[in-house]
Amino acid sequence: MNPPIHIPKPPLHTLQKQAQWLGLLVLASGLHIFEASIPSLGPWFKLGIANIITLIVLVRIGIGAAIALAIARVVIGAFFIGTMFTPTFVISLSATIVATSVMVFAWVFIPRISLIGVSLLGALAHMCAQFVVVEQLFIQQHALYYLLPPLLMLSCATGWLNGALAMYITAQLHTRSK
Amino acid sequence: MDRTLLMIATITIALSWQWLSQHLHGIPMIHIYHGKTLLAVYPLHPKETIHFNAKGDIGISKIIINQDGVRMIDSPCTTKRCILSGHRHHIGDMIACVPNRILISIQGTEKSQLDAISE
Repeated sequence: MNPPIHIPKPPLHTLQKQAQWLGLLVLASGLHIFEASIPSLGPWFKLGIANIITLIVLVRIGIGAAIALAIARVVIGAFFIGTMFTPTFVISLSATIVATSVMVFAWVFIPRISLIGVSLLGALAHMCAQFVVVEQLFIQQHALYYLLPPLLMLSCATGWLNGALAMYITAQLHTRSK
Repeated sequence: MDRTLLMIATITIALSWQWLSQHLHGIPMIHIYHGKTLLAVYPLHPKETIHFNAKGDIGISKIIINQDGVRMIDSPCTTKRCILSGHRHHIGDMIACVPNRILISIQGTEKSQLDAISE
């Protein structure tokens, strides 16, 4: 008879972080799907409210968790919206990877930056990445870039607002966890 | 730092917007593309309504051009965002159906270029 296998129990702190990450992933996926179902200002424009959760994870859990959450919510969202492996999914996933990388870079390397600045840069990077992917992979016309400046202006506004919301929520969570 | 970033971003975008706007003049013409290929060029406000079927990667996108401008009336894509875009009637306006790789772009065309197209 084989001796019983001893599986070490993970520390409670790690389990709490994992549970928190999973809860936030469900919330982010829900917001992603909700955002896809509401009318937007245009085919290229989204409010980016699901990104608030990525910012909260970046501050509360860490860089790796934030990147994993951003990618996972796009995949789960596409599964429920029905756009898995379509051009919309390719654009959304690549833009999310670029935006999250820019946000992580800004958070780590830019001194005195707050979540507002991080969110602002993320929103701008997301919009630019969308256009580059569409122009490179699907519609090879430079004329597309004429649409970019007004949409970048809107991204500045939504990026700032999302960052402010993420900062408020993070501060509230910090106060209540004390 | 955040305000500085916002200021830099806003100024850069405003300048690039102004620079791009300089190219938005001339006689408005509708250019219909499939990927890199130019499928057709039509005037923005034709005397009679034009129906154009653009063959894309996943099917036919039906386009209508009339006095109101240009719009997509049918498309094989799932999201139908191109149809929801409605009418477009300004130079620089665009309707894109990314899954079908169809782009409708209203561009300002110089008279000399227009003569070359009509020839």
